[in-house]
Amino acid sequence: MSWAAHDLEPYAFQKHLNLKVAFVPLLIGSYAPDLMTKWFVYGIHLGPWELKASNPAQFHRGWPGFGFTHSLTFGLLIGLVIWKGFGSKLWAVSFVIGHWAHALTDTGDTVGTMLLFPWTFHFHLDAWAYAGQTGRYKDAAAYFSGLGSMWDAVWIVYGFYSWRVITSEYYDNVIYRADAFWPWVNRWVPRGALLTLYRAAFFYGTSRWIAWTIWAHVVHHYPYDLTWGGPHWAPAEHP
Amino acid sequence: MRLRLLSRIDVPTRSDWRVFAGYCAAAAVYIVIGVVYDNFLLSVVVGMAYLVVAAWLVPRTIRRMRR
Repeated sequence: MSWAAHDLEPYAFQKHLNLKVAFVPLLIGSYAPDLMTKWFVYGIHLGPWELKASNPAQFHRGWPGFGFTHSLTFGLLIGLVIWKGFGSKLWAVSFVIGHWAHALTDTGDTVGTMLLFPWTFHFHLDAWAYAGQTGRYKDAAAYFSGLGSMWDAVWIVYGFYSWRVITSEYYDNVIYRADAFWPWVNRWVPRGALLTLYRAAFFYGTSRWIAWTIWAHVVHHYPYDLTWGGPHWAPAEHP
Repeated sequence: MRLRLLSRIDVPTRSDWRVFAGYCAAAAVYIVIGVVYDNFLLSVVVGMAYLVVAAWLVPRTIRRMRR
């Protein structure tokens, strides 16, 4: 699982694809695999009840479970629904690119993803520990102590290298022109607010990467372990 | 020679830097709040709403008040 890469990858794709993609579905695709599952992985409190998966990794990435949401086939299926059901090839292609980036990035941890579902084989590189089952805060501590956070840092650096993508000129000439969504929303929301919203995922991914790093290493003193599969002080899940 | 090389590099304008500084200030506040109240960091919706307020609504309100 990644904490900031899914916020930043869409800007990298945007830099290379320009008018060939629409940013909103690209970002939705990048978030989509976790939208339905993350709250149940970490658990939520509803009054006296705690709703949480009994086996978070199985629920999040496995089968039986919702692991199919992290497969290339699921991304393609939703893309086809967008294309044929809503008639937008641009949104469909953009969604698939964002979704596939998420599914492929999550193969970096020790659980990995069932990329070719219904084949339930987990593709996993084991570069960083999957610790979602330990709860949100322990997971944050583990993630920001291992190679996962370095992978996020790569996307942050690449994001700054692609700085033109978040300028107002780029927003006006590419983002706004590529997708009718922006002129449509612009009927009610001023251009300045839309430009800020366009930049928001970049801001959110970068800022919270810094904040969680400070939280993990300055406030709580969790040790860094940048070895393959680390941090080894965290209990890593496997498929 | 050096000037010709510099002219080929895509460098941000002064206006770009000014915008960037504004976002950095917003990020610094966000990070401080997030480190103190870690729940603040968990929601992308909260992050986006914060940015719209800090980087668009507040500067816009200040600009209007100055006029």
